[in-house]
Amino acid sequence: MTDTREIYWNVGKSVLLPMYSIAGIAILILIIGFLLRLKVYKKGKELVRTDKMISRIAGFISDALLQAKVLKVWSSGGMHALFFWGFMLLLLGTTLTFIQADITEPFFDIRFLHGSFYKIFSLTLDVAGLIAIVMLGGLFVRRFIIRPEGLETRLGDYAIHLLLFTILITGFVLEGIRIAATEYQTNMPLAFFSPVGLAVSLPFTGMDAASLSSAHRYLWWFHFFVAIGFIVFIPFTKLKHMFTTSTNYIFTDRRPKGSIDTLDLEDENVESFGVGTVKDFFWKDIFDADACTECKRCQDVCPAFNTQKPLSPMKVITGIRETAFNSPENPLANALSKDALWSCTTCRACQEVCPASIEHVNKIIGMRRNLVLMDGEFPGPEVKTAVENTEVNGNPFGLAFASRGDWAEGLEGLTLADGNTEMDILYFAGCYASFDKRNRMIAKSFIKICRSAGIKVGILGKDEKCCGEPMRKIGNEYIYQMMAVENIEKIKNSGTKRIVTTCPHCFNTLNRDYRDLGLDIEVEHQATFLSRLIKEGRIKLKSDPFDVTYHDSCYMGRYNDIYDEPRQALKAIGGTIVEMDKTRDNSFCCGGGGGRVMAEEKLGTRINAERIRMASATNTHVLVSNCPFCMTMFEDGVKAEGLEATLWTKDLSEIIAERL
Amino acid sequence: MKVLVCIKQVPDMESKFKINGGGTWFDETDLAYRMNEYDEFAVEQAVLLKEKLGGDTDLTVVSIGPERVKEAIKKALAMGCDRGVHIKDDDYFKKDSFQVASILHEFAKDKGFEMIFTGMQSQDRGSAQVGPLLAEMLGIPSVTTIMEFAFEGGVVSVKRELEGGLKAGVKVKPPVLLTCQLGLNTPRYPTLPNIMKAKKKELLTSEAGTLLKDKELVTAEKMYYPEKKGGGLVLEGDVNDLADKLISILGEKTAVLK
Repeated sequence: MTDTREIYWNVGKSVLLPMYSIAGIAILILIIGFLLRLKVYKKGKELVRTDKMISRIAGFISDALLQAKVLKVWSSGGMHALFFWGFMLLLLGTTLTFIQADITEPFFDIRFLHGSFYKIFSLTLDVAGLIAIVMLGGLFVRRFIIRPEGLETRLGDYAIHLLLFTILITGFVLEGIRIAATEYQTNMPLAFFSPVGLAVSLPFTGMDAASLSSAHRYLWWFHFFVAIGFIVFIPFTKLKHMFTTSTNYIFTDRRPKGSIDTLDLEDENVESFGVGTVKDFFWKDIFDADACTECKRCQDVCPAFNTQKPLSPMKVITGIRETAFNSPENPLANALSKDALWSCTTCRACQEVCPASIEHVNKIIGMRRNLVLMDGEFPGPEVKTAVENTEVNGNPFGLAFASRGDWAEGLEGLTLADGNTEMDILYFAGCYASFDKRNRMIAKSFIKICRSAGIKVGILGKDEKCCGEPMRKIGNEYIYQMMAVENIEKIKNSGTKRIVTTCPHCFNTLNRDYRDLGLDIEVEHQATFLSRLIKEGRIKLKSDPFDVTYHDSCYMGRYNDIYDEPRQALKAIGGTIVEMDKTRDNSFCCGGGGGRVMAEEKLGTRINAERIRMASATNTHVLVSNCPFCMTMFEDGVKAEGLEATLWTKDLSEIIAERL
Repeated sequence: MKVLVCIKQVPDMESKFKINGGGTWFDETDLAYRMNEYDEFAVEQAVLLKEKLGGDTDLTVVSIGPERVKEAIKKALAMGCDRGVHIKDDDYFKKDSFQVASILHEFAKDKGFEMIFTGMQSQDRGSAQVGPLLAEMLGIPSVTTIMEFAFEGGVVSVKRELEGGLKAGVKVKPPVLLTCQLGLNTPRYPTLPNIMKAKKKELLTSEAGTLLKDKELVTAEKMYYPEKKGGGLVLEGDVNDLADKLISILGEKTAVLK
C-alpha cells in the first residue's frame, strides 16, 4: 500500500458544498472588509509608488517573506518570524491538500500527496505546527504575562491568540484522532512521520471506532468554523497586518532616505499647505497607519518619548489611523496634540526600526507645515524669533549677515568664492560654524587640515545663508526655499565644482533637498572627506593612543549610512573606540534635529543630558561627534551633568587637526 | 472705519553699522532691514481691531523711504492690512521728524482716517515725535506708548506706560492717533496664503517731494560712535577676598563709603 492519507477521511465529500459555501461567504466578508478600508485610504492624495518594481519586490521578499526587519529585534521578532514561517508552511500544506483533493484528483486524476513526498509533507507540517504553537505560546507569555512596558493590548489581541491556539491545537487533535483510527491500525510506520499527531493520538487509542469517528466529525466542523472565524476577523483586527504590512513593504518610499516633497509655493490654485486633515495626506500615509502593528519598537527608540515628552511615534501613527477611520474631518494637530508634533527631532530612529516600513518623519513634517504655514504657529516664541531672524539675516541667531565670514579672518589658505578664484572645494560653513564661538573651532580645524593637505578652499562669506534645514524641518517650507534659492544662485556663480560641509544638516540639505531646486554639484561631508585624506596619506598625522567614544549623528548615520568612515579616521590617529550602548543605526539623538536646535526644551527631561550620561558610561574622556548641533547640545549637556572635568566634546575635525 | 498704520523700515539692530561719507547717517551697505519693532505692534493692533469690527474696516499702511521699504509694507499687508502706500524718498534720512510728520499729514489730511496706529518710536532714530506731531497737524488727540487697547461702544480705552512702572488709563473717542509700546500684543507670523495674497494687494506709490510742504526744523550735524570709556572690571576668586577687594575699590574710586 502507498503511504498517504485519505483527504476528507471520516467527514466525506458531502462536506464540500457547505464547506465551500461558508468559506466563500467568509472570503467575501474579508474582501468587503478590505474594500471598506480601501475607501478610507483613497481619502488621501494620489502618489505613485509602483516605480522601481524590482527593488519593491525584493523588499517584499526580504521584509515580508524573510522577515528581515522583524528579526532586527531577535527575541520577540524571532518568535514572530518562526511563527510566521510555521504558519506559512501550514497554509502551504492546506493549499496543496486543496489542490489535490478538489482540483487535480477529481478533474485530472492526478495525486501527488503520497509516498516519500507525503512523508516529507507530513513531517514538515507537523514540525511547522509545533513550532507555531510554541512560538505563539512565547508571544502569549510576552504579551499577557511579561507585559513589556508600552505594549498595549486590546480585545482583538485576546481574540487573535484564542483563535490561533484553537486552530493549531484542534488541528493536531484531529490528526491524532485520525491516526488513532487509521494509521494505528494499518500503517504504523507512517504515523512516525506525524510525530506530534502521533503523540496526541495516544489518549485516543483505547477508544472504539464509532466514538473516534463521531468525535472527529464534530471537531472537524469546530476546527473549520474557527478557521472561518479567523478569516472573517482579518480585516477587523490586527490580523489585517498580514495584508497591509506585507503590502506596505512594496509601496515603501524608495527615494534616497530623508527625501521630502518640495512644495510648489508659487501655485496659485493651492489654498492649503501641509497636512491639516487626513485628506491632505497621501493615500500611502493612511495606508501606512493601517499597516502599524503597534509593536512599539518606534516608541522604544524615540528620544522624545524616552525623555518623557508627549510624543510616541506609534501613537502618532495609530492616531492618524483612528482619525482617518473615525473622524476624518478633525484637524490632525488637535487629535495628535501639537506638543507631540513639535517634540520630534526627525532623528529617524522610529523609521529605521519600524518592522512595517512606516514613514513617520514626513508625516510629522507635513503636519508641522500646516501649523506653520497656515496658522503661523511655532513650538515657542523663541523659534518664531529664530525663523524671523533667518528671514532678515540668513541665520537663526539674528546676527549681522555681513559678519558671516568673520570667522575666517586672518586664516591662511582660504579664498572668497566669487567665481574668479580657482579652488578645489567650496566649504559651506553653515550658521553654527560661522557664528557660534565653540563651533567656529570646527571650521578653523577643517581649514587647517585642508591647508595641510594642500587643498584650496573657498567660502561664500557673507553671501552664504542658512541652508534652511531647521526651518524646513520645523515646517517652514517658505523660508527654507527662500534660503535655498539664494544659496543655489550664489553657489552656481561661485565656480564651485565640489562642496564640503562640516554640518550633516547642511550636507543632507545641499546634497539631496537642493537637487529639487536645481543644485547639481557634488556635495560631501567632512566625515568621508577627511577619512579619505587620511587613507590616501595626504595629511601627516601624529598617532598617539587614546580612548574615545563616537556619537553617530542622525543625519550622517541613519540618513546616510555613514558609520565606518569616521571610525576609521579615529582609529587611524590612534583612537580606541569604546561604543555607547546605543550606537550606529540605534544611535540616540542629541536633541538638536528637526529644528529643535532653535527651540527651548521645556517638556520632559533633557535629551542631551540623557545622551551625555550614555557617553559618560563608557568611561572615556572624549566624546567625538560630527555635527555642530550635536556639539552645541553636548556642550550644554556636559555642563548640565557637571562633567566638564571628565568629558570633553570634540568634533572629528578638531581631533584630527590636533594631531597634524 | 478707516484706519491708518504708519510704519518705518529700519536696519536690523545686529547689523554692522558704519558712518556714511557725509558723516550724518550710517552707510547702508551690508545692512539687513526689517520693520521697526514698535510698528509691528501697531500693525498687529490695527489687524486685531479689523478682526473685531469686521466688515467695512479698511486698513491702509503707509511708509516713507527708498524702494526697499516696500518689503516692510508687504509684510504689513501679509499680516492683514488692506492696502499699502509707499511714499518714495531716497533722502528720507535727511528729513527731521517734523518733515516726516508733515509728509504724512499731507497724505492723510483729507482721507478721513478715524484711527491711526504707529510705533512709539523708530529703532534707528528714536525721536518718538512723528506720531504726536502728525496728530497735532491733523488736529486730533494722540495717546503715546500704549500697552493695552480696547474699543467698545465707540470709545477707545488704553493703558499707557509712565515712568517708574506706573500706568495711566485713558479713554478717548476717535479720531485718535495711538503710538504703540512693547507689551501691547504679540505680532502674528504671516501665513503663507496671506503672504501670497499680499502680493496682489493694492500698493500705491507717490513721491515724497510732492507731499513735502515744510522746511526742516532740526538738522543733523554729525554722527559718530560713542567715545570709548573705561571698561568694566570682573573680580574673580574667593568670596571673602572679593568682598574686601570690592570695598577697597569703592573706597578708592567712589564716594559711597564716605
